Amino acid sequence: MKRRISRFFVYFFLTLGAVIMLFPFFWMFSSAFKTTQEINRFPPQWLPSRISLDNFRRAFEMAPFAKYFVNSIVVMVCSVGLTTLTTILAAFAFSRLRFPGRNLIFGLLLSLMMIPFEMLVITNYSTIVDLGLWDSIPALILPFTSSIFYTYILKNFFDSVSDSLYWSARIDGSSNWRYLWKVMVPMARPSLMTIILLNALASWNSFMWPMYVISSDKNRTLPWGLQVFTTEAGSYPELLMAASTVVVLPVIILFLFARKYIVRGVARGGIKG
Amino acid sequence: MKKRKQSADQELLDRSFKARIEPYLYLLPFFLGIAVFTLYPVINVVLISFKEGYSYLTRGFDAWGLANYQKVLSDPKFAQAISNTIKYVLLVVPISTCISVVVAYLLSQKLRFSALFQTAYFLPMVTSITAVGLAWKLMYNKNFGIINYILSFFGIDKIPWLENAAWSIPALVIFGIWNILPFTIILLLSGLQNIDPQYYTAARVDGSGGLRIFFRITVPLLAPTIFLVCIINTISCFKVFSELYPLFNGNPGPFYNLYTVVYYIRYAMIDNRKYGVAAAAAIVLFGFIFVFTMVQRVVQSWVNARKG
Amino acid sequence: MRVVLDHITKRFSDVTAVSDFSATLEDGELISLLGPSGCGKSTLLNMLSGILPVSGGKIFFDDQDVTAMAPEKRGIGLVFQNYALYPHMTVMGNICFPLEMQRVPKAERVERANEIAKLVHVDMLMNRKPAELSGGQQQRVAIARALVKNPRLLLLDEPLSNLDARLRLEMREEIRRIQQRTGVTTIFVTHDQEEAMSISDRIVLMKAGVLQQNDLPQRLYNEPANQFVADFLGTPPINNLPGHVEDGAFVTADGKARCALALVSGIENGRKVNLSVRSESFVLDPDGPMACEVTRVYQMGKEEMAYLRFGECDFRAYIDSDEGLKKGDSVRLSLKKRGVFVFDLETGERIR
Repeated sequence: MKRRISRFFVYFFLTLGAVIMLFPFFWMFSSAFKTTQEINRFPPQWLPSRISLDNFRRAFEMAPFAKYFVNSIVVMVCSVGLTTLTTILAAFAFSRLRFPGRNLIFGLLLSLMMIPFEMLVITNYSTIVDLGLWDSIPALILPFTSSIFYTYILKNFFDSVSDSLYWSARIDGSSNWRYLWKVMVPMARPSLMTIILLNALASWNSFMWPMYVISSDKNRTLPWGLQVFTTEAGSYPELLMAASTVVVLPVIILFLFARKYIVRGVARGGIKG
Repeated sequence: MKKRKQSADQELLDRSFKARIEPYLYLLPFFLGIAVFTLYPVINVVLISFKEGYSYLTRGFDAWGLANYQKVLSDPKFAQAISNTIKYVLLVVPISTCISVVVAYLLSQKLRFSALFQTAYFLPMVTSITAVGLAWKLMYNKNFGIINYILSFFGIDKIPWLENAAWSIPALVIFGIWNILPFTIILLLSGLQNIDPQYYTAARVDGSGGLRIFFRITVPLLAPTIFLVCIINTISCFKVFSELYPLFNGNPGPFYNLYTVVYYIRYAMIDNRKYGVAAAAAIVLFGFIFVFTMVQRVVQSWVNARKG
Repeated sequence: MRVVLDHITKRFSDVTAVSDFSATLEDGELISLLGPSGCGKSTLLNMLSGILPVSGGKIFFDDQDVTAMAPEKRGIGLVFQNYALYPHMTVMGNICFPLEMQRVPKAERVERANEIAKLVHVDMLMNRKPAELSGGQQQRVAIARALVKNPRLLLLDEPLSNLDARLRLEMREEIRRIQQRTGVTTIFVTHDQEEAMSISDRIVLMKAGVLQQNDLPQRLYNEPANQFVADFLGTPPINNLPGHVEDGAFVTADGKARCALALVSGIENGRKVNLSVRSESFVLDPDGPMACEVTRVYQMGKEEMAYLRFGECDFRAYIDSDEGLKKGDSVRLSLKKRGVFVFDLETGERIR
């Protein structure tokens, strides 16, 4: 009996907490469908009285969200693609190939990981300006083509693969290059999934860097475009919520399917900081 | 042990030029990115911070010196930024850790719908802070906000969350906690999964109840993870910026009262075009992070050594 | 293919793993590289395969100097202790991999893979992944993968040590069968003397990086070159009675027992020796030179294992059960010609 009561409390508190955690999302989605009158009502109205995509249409008319969306996708695909490539190559070199100072160099790289991006912004901003890339899509991609953290994760996986696999392949006539792509990369699929997902999320949600280097409408990505939109749509919160939904919903859907990979990556210290 | 030694000592059989150049070709694309956008900026920001009268346009400067640091450290705005940041850290880190320990413990039980609960608790981690921040802003609205409506059931008058300097810190802190919880819970959950279930069995055999087990066994065994989480969260809270931006229309608080260190860097750089000052502020930020990272490494190596 | 190892030495930064090792391995033979763990046999194998460069000496495959040749050019097949199968590929994919690397056309690849799979009896498993196979099956696949490219030399690194006892016996026979069918020169690394004795045409016994004896299995057992060889081979281990020589007789170290032996008659007085006798080389003989006391007797079917004491030396001997020995009996033993050796106590060198 006592156990049943305590079980009840466990579920009760967890459910209460879950409701609080999810509430902002519920409020965002619900508000995205409300009319201007409904959203300015007090006491607040829990649900919109009708489902209409009108707010989305108006938001997309007021600001080029379709363009933002495409930009976000382009930046994400390019930077994730390039990072994954440089990560695979570098992790393999650090794990498998031999060159003088290998471990020393890797140790130095690891200590670079604690440098906050905020500290790099100052110089990177001028570098982008010097390269003539200010306010352009490549400005959002180029600084994010190499990652020490993802290289570290993948190197750890590569290290866990037995030496004998490598030597078997070498004796069978495989070059390093072919071994990497025929054996290591297919084997590392779960680790790669984690890396790609974490990287894609970081890119999709990236806000601070675009804020520094993008000024024109046509080059904005979603999070930065959304913040700019707040000044235009200040008096129409329902449009703002519709636009926010566009930013947040794809990620939520992705998370529902790939939770395990993402959580595993985060548990290793990924995301945030 | 012997095996490892052997492979560490292995020389290349193939001493051809191609074999020797190969590793560098693999590293080249990676290092290109790191060199231009991490290594060079780190060195450069240190140099700039010591350049007095550095001009962004000409890249010229008057002299080497500590003027930028003097400027930063004597700027009341920076003092305010540091004090706000520390306040934020001191509020968010302990509260979020306490909540997370409890939630992680509950989630670690054998539960029905555990996948559902996990999804709910972890979701804020993947969504854009700045986008969700707009929803919070709506919820915080003084006149129409759902939060004030719910508080009215408890007889609490409408609170000017985002309009009043005094209330703006709690508003930011609550949003910050909500935002950092998933990450904290995940780390603690994986820490909990590393605790040998034997301890629980033993305690249950001894007749200890759930609450007793939680305080006498779970919390002490989880202590190293809790500590680690506190450090990591402290570091990430020191960089608070994106939480602030959507709540106050991109301003640091309703009356520019909520400057944080990162906001200060942006202000010095974009609004004032004082790159030297921004660099000095960034170095000060790094100083804080460096200290906490070192503490973390020391404690972690100590914990690892104790584990054997 | 004939393999010649010519004064091979391998030094790691602070240890010499293999020193001045010379041996010739004849074409078509199955050779066991035997020795306790850490004796340098795997290092030697890695130098043969080209994974490790040599520090000194030369390796010849037939008349070709391969010392500096890259692993992939040596034309060898290698089976690792952990099999090293690619976990994401099917059995077919694994066996085809070496051919794929040699850019053999697809149709021929499949044909050759099927052929070799039939030989090692994994043709029913071609579409499985390694994780779905038993240890023995994985072993077979690894051998098939090593053989599919028709190597000049097959190297097996402790291939049986991850298998349970029953499978080990079965795979031992299988390796022998496959080797004889293909006729490929094979080097088999093991620390298990029984395995080596049963499978090989020739055994190369190593200790601490130094060659001890390179001989036929029976010769290794019957004519050990030194104390180490005698100790390493045989179950139960050979009996060692330490003592010295006195007037053509062997005297135990404590001086309490002596026996006249033709074997020691030529050895100078006072030389310290080990009298090493295999358990099956004792014979009950009322006129025998050794007066011993029985300390324990184990029934082992048609024979008995008797524990005896000679002076203060304890040893084991197989005795015919009909004799009905009991604890405490005093008996006299003589020694057979076979399985009795005298080694120098200090150097371990055989005294003939």
